[in-house]
Amino acid sequence: MNKNLSYKKPLLETPFHERTSEACYNNDWYRWAGYKIAKEYSSTELEYTSMRNTAGVIDITPMHKYDIKGIEACEFVNKLVTRDISKIQPNQIMYIIWCNEDGNVIDDGTVFCLKEDHLRIMCAERNLNWFTDTATGFNVEIKDITETIAALAFQGPLSCKILNLLNVNDIENLEPFQFNNYQINNSNVLISRTGFSGDLGYEIWCDPADALNIWDSLFKFNRDYKVLPTGMNALDMVRIEAGFIQPNADFMSAEQALRPNRMRNPYELGLSWLVDLEKNYFTGKAALKKIKKKPLNKKLVGLDIEGDKPAVGSILYDRQKKEIGIVTAAMWSPTLKSNIAIGYVNKEFMKIGSTVFAEIYHPEELEYKKIWANCKVVKKQFFNPQRRYNVPADI
Amino acid sequence: MKIFDIIIIGAGPNGLAAASYLSKLGKKVLVVEKNEEVGGLAQYADSSSSLSKKVIDQLGLKISTKKKNTFVTSLNDNLNHTVLEIDENNAVKFKECEASLEDQNNFLKLVKKYNLFSKTLSSFMFNSPPRVKSGNKSDLWQLISMGWKVRKLGKKNMRELLRIIGLNIADDLEDNLINDNLMGILCNEAILGSNLGPRSPGSILTLLYSNAINGSIFRNNNLDSKQIIDSLEQSCLDRGVEFLKSSEVKKLFINNESVTGIEMNNQNTIESSTIISTLDPKTTYLNLIGADKLDTDFTRRVSNFRSKGNVAKIKLEFKNMIKIKNLDEKYIGSKFIYAPNIKYIEHAFNNNKYNKYSTKPCLEFYIDNKNISANLYYVPYLKSGSHDKKEIESNIQLILNNFIDNNQLIKFEIDTPNEIEKKYNTSGGHWHHGDMEIDQLLMIRPFYGSAQYETPINGLYLCGAGTHPGGGITGINAINASKQLLKK
Amino acid sequence: MSKSIYDVAIIGGGHNGLTTACYLAKAGLKVVVVEKQSYVGGAAVSREIHPGWTYSNCSYVCSLLRPEIFRDLELSKYGLQIIPYEGSASMLDDGRYYAHYNDHDLTYRSIAQFSKKDAEAYDRFGKDVMRQCKIIKPLLKMTPPDPTSFAPKDIMGLFDFAKFFAAKDELGGLGEKEIYDTIRFWTMSVRDYLEEYFESDIVKAHLAGSAIIGTALGPYSPGSAYVLLHHYMGEVDGTVGAWGYSRGGMGSITKAMAASLEASGGEIKAGSPVNEILIKNNKSYGMVLENGDEIYANKIVSNLDVKRTFLKVVEKKELPEDFYNAVKKFKIRGSSGKLNIALDDLPIWKSIPEGDPAGTGDLHITQSIEEMEGAYDDWKDGRWSSLPYVDMCIPSINDPTMAPQGKHYMSVFVQYVPYNLADGGWTEEKRLEFGKHVMSRIGNYSTNFNDIINHAEIRTPKELEQEVGLTEGNIFQGELTMDQLMFNRPIPGYAQYKTPIKNLYMCGSSTHPGGGVMGAPGANAAREILRDLRKQINTHYI
Repeated sequence: MNKNLSYKKPLLETPFHERTSEACYNNDWYRWAGYKIAKEYSSTELEYTSMRNTAGVIDITPMHKYDIKGIEACEFVNKLVTRDISKIQPNQIMYIIWCNEDGNVIDDGTVFCLKEDHLRIMCAERNLNWFTDTATGFNVEIKDITETIAALAFQGPLSCKILNLLNVNDIENLEPFQFNNYQINNSNVLISRTGFSGDLGYEIWCDPADALNIWDSLFKFNRDYKVLPTGMNALDMVRIEAGFIQPNADFMSAEQALRPNRMRNPYELGLSWLVDLEKNYFTGKAALKKIKKKPLNKKLVGLDIEGDKPAVGSILYDRQKKEIGIVTAAMWSPTLKSNIAIGYVNKEFMKIGSTVFAEIYHPEELEYKKIWANCKVVKKQFFNPQRRYNVPADI
Repeated sequence: MKIFDIIIIGAGPNGLAAASYLSKLGKKVLVVEKNEEVGGLAQYADSSSSLSKKVIDQLGLKISTKKKNTFVTSLNDNLNHTVLEIDENNAVKFKECEASLEDQNNFLKLVKKYNLFSKTLSSFMFNSPPRVKSGNKSDLWQLISMGWKVRKLGKKNMRELLRIIGLNIADDLEDNLINDNLMGILCNEAILGSNLGPRSPGSILTLLYSNAINGSIFRNNNLDSKQIIDSLEQSCLDRGVEFLKSSEVKKLFINNESVTGIEMNNQNTIESSTIISTLDPKTTYLNLIGADKLDTDFTRRVSNFRSKGNVAKIKLEFKNMIKIKNLDEKYIGSKFIYAPNIKYIEHAFNNNKYNKYSTKPCLEFYIDNKNISANLYYVPYLKSGSHDKKEIESNIQLILNNFIDNNQLIKFEIDTPNEIEKKYNTSGGHWHHGDMEIDQLLMIRPFYGSAQYETPINGLYLCGAGTHPGGGITGINAINASKQLLKK
Repeated sequence: MSKSIYDVAIIGGGHNGLTTACYLAKAGLKVVVVEKQSYVGGAAVSREIHPGWTYSNCSYVCSLLRPEIFRDLELSKYGLQIIPYEGSASMLDDGRYYAHYNDHDLTYRSIAQFSKKDAEAYDRFGKDVMRQCKIIKPLLKMTPPDPTSFAPKDIMGLFDFAKFFAAKDELGGLGEKEIYDTIRFWTMSVRDYLEEYFESDIVKAHLAGSAIIGTALGPYSPGSAYVLLHHYMGEVDGTVGAWGYSRGGMGSITKAMAASLEASGGEIKAGSPVNEILIKNNKSYGMVLENGDEIYANKIVSNLDVKRTFLKVVEKKELPEDFYNAVKKFKIRGSSGKLNIALDDLPIWKSIPEGDPAGTGDLHITQSIEEMEGAYDDWKDGRWSSLPYVDMCIPSINDPTMAPQGKHYMSVFVQYVPYNLADGGWTEEKRLEFGKHVMSRIGNYSTNFNDIINHAEIRTPKELEQEVGLTEGNIFQGELTMDQLMFNRPIPGYAQYKTPIKNLYMCGSSTHPGGGVMGAPGANAAREILRDLRKQINTHYI
């Protein structure tokens, strides 16, 4: 029997739990793939600010990790995903999405190239079934190694500086979407320059046994550079600002959608740059070729909304008050001092600069107030600082 | 190097029919066959061709049909065998029967009912199955016309059809008949070659469907399969079709989701932009193409296609001329059935469910002097291991000893579905390339995405028994597929 | 000998008969329900067979009861409460157990012990079955259109049916692929269906149980996947597929219905078996009770199964020959047994620890689908299964009203048990032997079960037939096979709750959509009767 299974403890704890449970005095937990992850440790605003001002530490252990080994590892992933990854080099990372036969997106993630015959896919949803079924006919072995690796995201403008202070050798020269092996306080770690924040930041992957050492190290310089453990609420804010989409929030995964019309193709999600119809065969290619020829019916866009009341769950209208879309994520951005959102609009309103209207229900002392707000269609990427790309990174 | 318009993989009845049809229209066709002989699985068929007149006309085949009455003998443990006579118009008459006259009449009524419904279904057979909700007017029109044909049966018959289509054969027989032997005859017709027992829902549909092309459950087998294959081959040769025999195709070349040619086992390659595979869907998709070139959802459907065969072919040789106890010699030359009653057959089926051969199996066989050629069921395909053939032999002997006058068995050969798979490259060794049950028929045969003879690979077509309308030596799959191909 | 006159008389006080009665009474009609037993409820009853204990001695769990009916009949006001349970489990011979919980992640990990792939596939399976539930839900409320008829009502009905499938994809209609999936789901065997998702035997066996309960099909029989739906399409407070106990036993449902009926002015005559339906010129106008009393009514509704109605209560000479023959051919086969056991203590399972919420719901004894099919083979040959599929539950854990304090009531459902035994029919000895056989199987999985049995009621299909009146003891009033569903149920051409006899209707589970304590056949029948009477009623269901 699995020693982890106990009906008394339905949720698993990550290797950082000793620290996170102490820090999370709100005791406000989020469920992520069966793990307890803090939603809010102390205050979402402070955690968010820490990520944009110094750095935030996020426990991302529940992220699913799949090891793909074998001489056809690369061919397999290339068949799985819509993007051409055949030229991926060791130590390189690529952002990928994969679709079903109808060209609808199942999930997104990143693929790490450890060796030519050893790749690793990190993603938010469970994909073992899809991966193994896709691997029929390939000489590869796929293994779910989620539980064997602990992971932290360390995101923010001071993230490189603090790692540098921790004597992580040459970390400043690690390029975006690259990774390498390093040491933090005598523990071996793999660090990648990736993350959800759309800012300078790293993700640190380590043995669960070293988890607490790594966690403690990141807070070592808190007297001068205060970093905070950051919960999922703050993470959601930074990802909206960065314009990153999330499966089962901005669209339903094609493997999980009950209603066929809830599935989305990469073009609707604004991810056409990830689709390479010229490359060799991949699942969904035939369907995507057809989809590309036809005009889009709807598209996920950024919205700049007047006023300061977040348009959470709003329905979008045109001037004639006809429904033309919905908001999937919305927030007041403290950094941009803007009321921003991500949402779907119908084809007439896809163009940047189009005007639509949001009906916002805003709670004011027990009563909802209905606000009719003017929205401008903009690019999804609201926040995109230069420091995100600098090599060497700012120390 | 020669250039061919079309390469056909497999020289079974459908491969030959497609070659004949397409070459008649002026196409340059190459047929590649793994074995030395053409005919494929049809070589296993003893008789009862279902080649319809429509197909013979369309292909312009020259077959001389000699019309004479034939018989079906159902062996009875008490030696009161039932003998049916089938005349040239497929009308059925009792020659010998222990059952009461009323029961015999009810049997004939039942056959008439099944024939009527079979005929109704037959009109679905000669077209590429319509797609549901394709947005295409012709598909919609075809669906409506199918519905209209059923409706034309009239209220009473339509209701009966809609009821029994999901029913099991045993229930309908028990509702109408009393004599065990009579029920056994119809059970045999319904389930031979399927993965069903008499009590499995859907077994009536299998009966209606597999006889739909001729619209008749019992047929005067005026053609034997050898004759058909010979005349099909001859018509191909007359029209300049080239054959490459003893040549197994190893894989298909695919570039940009289109076929470009084939590679043989001996490394030779032949180019063509149009290829028809008569192999079963699983072999075609997983071996010749490879799952790496197919959408994952599609591969899932291919793997889920049920194609486990359960009929073995046996050949027996006796020392002396074979005589059947308590049976007139004039019946010897035609079909014999040993499927004595529903319970017996259902028990034989029970073994099959658990991947074991029936210890008390059913037989359908033909006698030729000292030889017997038989279909034996159930002998299921095994994923690993093999059946104890000696044991099967003695089981059959036990049965035949009850009916055959003092004679000695001197030779026993058996091809289990595993051998059939190997010999004919048929995944699971299934006669019909896949179970013919509702969920694998019409626009779902073999499965979504491949049901109109087309494949996700441009220029590649299917026309084996795994396509609509299924197995049997009909040639219809080939003609429907050829028509679909020519539309492009 | 008394004579009385009503607008509508309903024969049989089961949950469907009562549902029909309630709706008709709500429409202002003078309604009477005639029940042969001294209590109403049919197969949804709570009975104190053994002092101190309440047995749900036929049906035992609840989820299919349509929420609209619950609401329309104000069943809560009349005491009905449904208690959802927290999980279910299958016990294995090797000491392990396979559990399902309300907590999705816990269930995932429970399945992952057997196969990680299956744990993931369970989500996909759940989604696909849920899609089928969504498809069938509107069909439950529908009077099946007659595909052979040209009447505008039927053509509109078929059109509605087609429209449902043909709606544009953007509007949430089914795609081509989903339509084929639906055809496949409705016709496949549950084994084949589950094999497309799962690799582990026990996962498949646990899920396949729902497909064989109450049917004369095995898990290998085509059409059995559909029966899954009859156990999945239920809901408790919007949680589709959830199951619950009715507080106070299943009888609380029918008791509440009876109270609701009486509050609407309806009447119940219990202890009044019906001898004959009075028919003249092909019109029914009343009935004669066993005691000679006569009841006259404009409309007669039979809650009895179709065989009992037309082979026992209506005379053959009143029926068209075709109809009579079709009724005789109707398949209604007893395949289930039931044990109701009073326990002096809570059973201790060898595998499931005390306190595990999985132990408070359905507990199955099964090892594999193959074993279940073997159990079916026994039934086909007229024997009770040597390794029966057992579905147990102990409602008294969650429901304090079922047993004295510290003691418990266990309901044991057994599949398969034949109505006729091949070796000479049922006798008292054989009934007891059957009970012993089942209890010894359960005893193998518990350390104390054999010592805590206080009383056991053993019911074979024979008892079910005798007490409740279900022909051959079939719990669904007729097999749920393709030939007896939708417009084929119960008899092709008579699927719209009407019969060949004018003013005589059917409202039992023999009619669409079939068995289960669902109420839909009863409510649908009420709607048809009201339509014929040109009466309007403003409720959630109708």
